[in-house]
Amino acid sequence: MEKQFAMLIDVKQCIGCQSCEQACKTLHHYPVEHEAELSYTALTVVQDKADRHVRRVCMQCQDPACASACPVGALKKNSFGPVTYDADKCIGCRYCMVACPYSVPRYEWTKLVPFVKKCDMCVSRVRQGQQTACAEACPVAATTFGTRSEILAAAWKRLSDDPSYVQRIYGTDELGGTSVFYISDVEFEKIGFKPTAKDDAPLRTLTATAMGDAPTVVMVGGSILAGLYWITQRRREVALVEAQEREAKKEQEGR
Amino acid sequence: MKIPKITIWRVITLVIFVAGAYATYLRFFHGLHASTNLSDQMPWGMWVGFGTLCGVGLSAGAFALSGAVYLLGMERYRPIVRAAVLIGFLGYVSVMFGYMYEIGLPWRFWHILVYWNHASMLFDVALCVMTYTTVLTLEFCPALIEKIPWQKPRELVLHWHHRVTVGVVMAGVLLSSMHQSFLGGLFLISPGKLYPLWYTHNIHALFFLSAIAAGLAMTIIALYLSMRSLDARIDYGILRELGRVVSLLLIVYVFFRGLDLVSHGGARYLFLPVRETGFFWLEVMLLAVIPFVLLQFNKVLNTPMYLYWTCCMVVAGFVINRLNVCITGFERSMNVFYTPKWSEISSTLLLVAGCVIAFRYAVLYLDILPRVVRVMKPTRWLANRGIAAQA
Repeated sequence: MEKQFAMLIDVKQCIGCQSCEQACKTLHHYPVEHEAELSYTALTVVQDKADRHVRRVCMQCQDPACASACPVGALKKNSFGPVTYDADKCIGCRYCMVACPYSVPRYEWTKLVPFVKKCDMCVSRVRQGQQTACAEACPVAATTFGTRSEILAAAWKRLSDDPSYVQRIYGTDELGGTSVFYISDVEFEKIGFKPTAKDDAPLRTLTATAMGDAPTVVMVGGSILAGLYWITQRRREVALVEAQEREAKKEQEGR
Repeated sequence: MKIPKITIWRVITLVIFVAGAYATYLRFFHGLHASTNLSDQMPWGMWVGFGTLCGVGLSAGAFALSGAVYLLGMERYRPIVRAAVLIGFLGYVSVMFGYMYEIGLPWRFWHILVYWNHASMLFDVALCVMTYTTVLTLEFCPALIEKIPWQKPRELVLHWHHRVTVGVVMAGVLLSSMHQSFLGGLFLISPGKLYPLWYTHNIHALFFLSAIAAGLAMTIIALYLSMRSLDARIDYGILRELGRVVSLLLIVYVFFRGLDLVSHGGARYLFLPVRETGFFWLEVMLLAVIPFVLLQFNKVLNTPMYLYWTCCMVVAGFVINRLNVCITGFERSMNVFYTPKWSEISSTLLLVAGCVIAFRYAVLYLDILPRVVRVMKPTRWLANRGIAAQA
């Protein structure tokens, strides 16, 4: 699949009807009732912030921190957009939850065999050429689904047609960019969006720099250690030979 | 049958074991929700903060001392190398056990060895910890091999072991310096979440520095206790010198921590009237500032008990530091307040008690430290004489 898919969430258009939540829960066979926060039975929620209805869902980052953090590579970014989770690999370390800058992944704490739960942008529906369940359910086109370029063009069009929008698409640059974009008519900071546009490097780069130094440290450190060991050994040998010579001298003098 | 004498420490140990066993039952038969206070907002709690971060950190004395003796030729520390390696070995084994509690699907722990993800800091930590545990086993095993009752195989094994020792020690030094810092590196990925007093791009270097200081302090504590209650005889001069090394490491740590805070802009958070500030100062004071000042006095260095308590302070500060990074530093941004459940504490205590007991019996029955052989108690001696007389 060459095309990359994305979603646009329009905070101004959203009427807070929670149809997207219900569609998501129906699709995943979760109990259909509104929850205040994301949970392992609520992969998306509509929250009220600053008089707006703000829908929370996995951002499907272009270079996801969770995927770089997962020690077994259970989370991965697919070339056509979604960040998916392979439950068969997961060991339950929950580093993805620590790493995610949007704090999206949830854990099945109450289960004896717990897994991570997060939105996968309806990956099986998208593979069949359908749109995501939430976008399909939205009655006012506050959530729309399409290819990345279509979605971005549509977002820019909405911004230019209506000057009351904040003239910025959240998700184009933030932490390397996302596949879920937000547009809004109030400042993003006021409705709970944390990473700002100036943080445009993916979080992976932070750990990568530290780990990138490791081979050098090992090589240099290893050679220094080996050198030091050689010096101590050499010293010991010299001391031993000198002591033997001294002994021999003494013996000669004694004779 | 003889009933063992009831002492306060035996009662405490028994309580720890019973509570720990029940907590273990809760963890493995009722899940994480029943046994922990972890939540989606606080996915890593005490098991990671104390069990992994402190368990590995306090074992750092092993690589520091074995490197000093085997590679740098500091022969004066040779008498305590085995004890330090034993502490490290027990620390890492307890970390391994602790990880079985911590991860949600413990029976899949081997997945790390199969599904590699090079980009993951945690993968590197896990791989290093596993390899280094093997290295520690190799470093420690002569103490067991010596007890093989057959002379020929014993000497053969010891001979071969001796030939690989230097390589093993070198691998150990590299591996553990790497993952001591990688443990700090785990938190590099959460810049927006970890409170700025703790988040820095140099957190991995700071973790490395503090681990060596605290690991050596832990070694002093263990040696002091085995001198006091296990009849170990060690030249006190060694401990005093270790104390000096610790104070040197502490001032280096304080210097770099301060430099880092200033250069990173964390300095403006130093005096804000919030909870984090208090935890930060508690940590810095206990881990570094107060012990450093105390260790400047000869009276403290020369009195075993004062040195012991100073080292306890370093270790306590170290533990607070790791818990701050793992727990306190996340509470504000994640809008959550976490205190460990009793079962998290008691299962941790179970592991600690297991380490203490294993250390005790190793010192008693293996040649870890030179010991004074106690003169037989008179009653026992008389009884034996009586039996001998009857025969």
